[in-house]
Amino acid sequence: MEFYLFAVLALFAGIVYGLIIGIIPAAGATTGLVALFPFIVTLKSVDPYLAVIFIVAVVAASTTGDTFTSVLLGIPGANSSAATMVDGFPLAQQGKATYALSAAVTTSTVNGLFWGSLTFLLLPWYYDFIILPPVQGGVGQAELFMLCLLAFVTVGFVSTKFWGRSLIALAMGVFLALVGTDPVTAEPRFTMGFDFLMGDGNGKGIPMIPVIAGLFAMPEMLLALRNTTLANKRDMSEHKQQLIDGIKISFVEWKLSAKGGLIGAIIGFLPGLGGGMSDWMAYGQTVASNPNEKIPFGKGNIKGVIGPEGSNNSQKASSFIPTVLFGIPGAPFAAVVIGLFSAIGFELTLDSQSIMGDGLFFNSLSFGFLSATLITGIICLYLMRYITMIAYVPYKFYFPILLAFIVWATYTSGFSTYGWENVALLGVFTLFGLAMKNWMFSRPALMIGFILGDKIEMLSYQFFQMFNVGGYPLIKLSEFFTDKPVGSGKIRFALGEGKDLLEHPVFMVTFVLTMFVLVWGWRNRGKVDYA
Amino acid sequence: MKVSKLVKSMAVATGVIFSGTAMSDIILMSPQKPGSGTSVWTEIIAKEFAKAPALNGENVVITYNPGVRDMAGPNKFHKTERFKDNVIMVSHGGNGISYVQENVKYDYTAYDSVCHQNLNIIMGKHVGVNEDEGISHIAGSGMVPEGLAIAMMIGGPYKTTQEYIDIFNDKVTWINGLNGSERHLAFTRGEVTASRANPAQYISKIQPLVDAGKVETWLHHGILDIANGGGTIDDPNYLGKRFEDVFEAKWGVAPSGDLYDAYSMIHSWRDAIQKAMWVNKGNPNTAKYRQACEQMANNPESIKVFHKKIGKYDWIVGEDGNKTIDILMGLIKDKPLQALVKFNQEALGLKSIYKAELVADLADSNSFIVPVRSSGSAGNWFTELLNIN
Repeated sequence: MEFYLFAVLALFAGIVYGLIIGIIPAAGATTGLVALFPFIVTLKSVDPYLAVIFIVAVVAASTTGDTFTSVLLGIPGANSSAATMVDGFPLAQQGKATYALSAAVTTSTVNGLFWGSLTFLLLPWYYDFIILPPVQGGVGQAELFMLCLLAFVTVGFVSTKFWGRSLIALAMGVFLALVGTDPVTAEPRFTMGFDFLMGDGNGKGIPMIPVIAGLFAMPEMLLALRNTTLANKRDMSEHKQQLIDGIKISFVEWKLSAKGGLIGAIIGFLPGLGGGMSDWMAYGQTVASNPNEKIPFGKGNIKGVIGPEGSNNSQKASSFIPTVLFGIPGAPFAAVVIGLFSAIGFELTLDSQSIMGDGLFFNSLSFGFLSATLITGIICLYLMRYITMIAYVPYKFYFPILLAFIVWATYTSGFSTYGWENVALLGVFTLFGLAMKNWMFSRPALMIGFILGDKIEMLSYQFFQMFNVGGYPLIKLSEFFTDKPVGSGKIRFALGEGKDLLEHPVFMVTFVLTMFVLVWGWRNRGKVDYA
Repeated sequence: MKVSKLVKSMAVATGVIFSGTAMSDIILMSPQKPGSGTSVWTEIIAKEFAKAPALNGENVVITYNPGVRDMAGPNKFHKTERFKDNVIMVSHGGNGISYVQENVKYDYTAYDSVCHQNLNIIMGKHVGVNEDEGISHIAGSGMVPEGLAIAMMIGGPYKTTQEYIDIFNDKVTWINGLNGSERHLAFTRGEVTASRANPAQYISKIQPLVDAGKVETWLHHGILDIANGGGTIDDPNYLGKRFEDVFEAKWGVAPSGDLYDAYSMIHSWRDAIQKAMWVNKGNPNTAKYRQACEQMANNPESIKVFHKKIGKYDWIVGEDGNKTIDILMGLIKDKPLQALVKFNQEALGLKSIYKAELVADLADSNSFIVPVRSSGSAGNWFTELLNIN
């Protein structure tokens, strides 16, 4: 009985902390979890299972909470809510903050509960699927490569009417993602001699938080200083009606919400793809599937809020699958969860299979996530009247607080290695963000390039090394550029020939879908009025 | 009682958040992010280390120092942190490899060993795969010994370094870009035919596949024989699978030559100090930390934890740890180092460098490789521009 009492206490502590972390601009679940390291062992001394409940409650609550600043202030609470901001913030500026937020929170909560339940109910059965060979319908490196390409081509849907500039922004994003460590030679690449830009040697060298905060949060904050408040009008009498309308629309548009949820669940389930990708994909599909809207996307279309919010919590939920089963993080936050679990005695990287046999661990995990998702949703809807008031408070009062929080989140994200270096990057990307906003270069397009650039590079290496796609001309091209002969064995002993991919069902479906989206995206480019 | 603990934990949490780690905490500097292999090892060790009576209940705190392929943490330790008496650097095998073949700031000869585990790396391959017909393996700068072992296993005895390079380029698909645990998944799915793992990972990720009859234990690199001043001994966990033994069983003679010497050198640098704890020379707490390690290594409860999570491997404590470094330094000789750099550059595509300052027998040097600066990448044009101007 005592345990259950403390379980509820841990749950609420996690919800409160998660909500605060979610609302702090740019921080999000990852930063909030990193900040827990110094005292998680002390919490463990109370009971390690309570610590599990606390940690997953933080994840669930911060994921819902990060929508608030995105919608109210145009400042993403985390990487995963940047896509929500594109249409959510214009709605708040039109005095429809409650409408946008209640739709976002309801969508997020419903999808979190649905996909969370599915994830935890079916957890013991996922193992067989995730190790399934690609020829039997599994997802291997070739399939991941094609999924990343699919996400990449959704950029067509988030481009502005200045699609040429969107393409430049996309290229810039890809370039920034390639700054770091060359995955083949392990040499620094485009780092200008700065060691900290090498990252951890796995993928991109420029960390995510300074980029997201600099590109999206800081420009909005600085430009908002010109205004006394962020919202144009204040009419709290409409609050109740907006709340009801918001909840209602999230069910009316259930297909959009479900599609977003499905995208989030798939991306979370697949290790190594990460969170930001699913939200932009969900936003892209929302724009694509609604070509003739009265309210343009980027100008406050509620569908642009529902799509990405559908994917938000479902991605977090399904990320627990590879994390718990294999100790392989399904998203950046999950890597920190693995570390925290390890600190409290549950080493997922070593002993995941036997941990699955620990009923109390499993129950703590599912109870923590599902309860926190539900309770956070209710709290958010209940307190929305008060939280939305921030949009009407003179900006000068909270600008210094927001700035301090952003700097803190950026500083903390560098672990014990880099702190002020990340803050310097924040300054650089703030200037970058201001310039892009001013000259209408699509920041979402840059983000898509930045999120996916290094992933596509690495997966393409694997793809072409595993499959003889391109064959002889590719070898000659490689020899021409690298001035190094490629052994014939590289092709002869590849895992398979290009034609073998025809027997990979997931690859083929994704390939066809990618081609379709590419053409459709190009024909429907320039639909979003947001840079 | 729980209420008081909860209140205490909240008070500690509040204090820690606003003050950072307390000055009196013992800090273990992990070179990786939370959740990565060495961080997990550090987390296992920290709990057992903290129980040692010699530490008198002092708090043991882990800091995470990822960056620059795990070199940022050790570099930071060397530059500033080693001068703090309460800081212990944790290093892993990859740091040992980088020390031999790359420009790094850290220097093992400037530190005293607290203790380390003389570990091993074990390789598995899918049942039915004949390496002579071609094999695929995940690439990475920490996989250099595996690349060398595979080339020799396919090539057989009495080959020159160039011949091994040609054989490697012809028959081995070295797949770039798969990191950490992802490679185990790709191996499990059969997307790569061979893989390797440290003892802890092997137990949890590969052994189940061996037990299921899908994978066979191919070989391991052996454990550095510190007592006898060098060479390797068989791993009691995988008897008869030492590289030298497997090679001889296949080819009838023991491996030899410059590339084999390069292999012996680089795998020892990685595996003998695969997980290690260091303090600066002259640290007044060295004796205390060594004593704590000794107590941890002899604590039956801790031993049980290590055996379950890491495998049955001995701890090398104190001066024996320093002796390990002496043995390893003695392995760095001119010809093997040249062979290693050549293999890295021409077979594995790594831009490693010849570090003349490490070579024990430089007097016999007959260099045929022009040293390559590790900073010679396109990324350094900005620094060079600043220097020129």
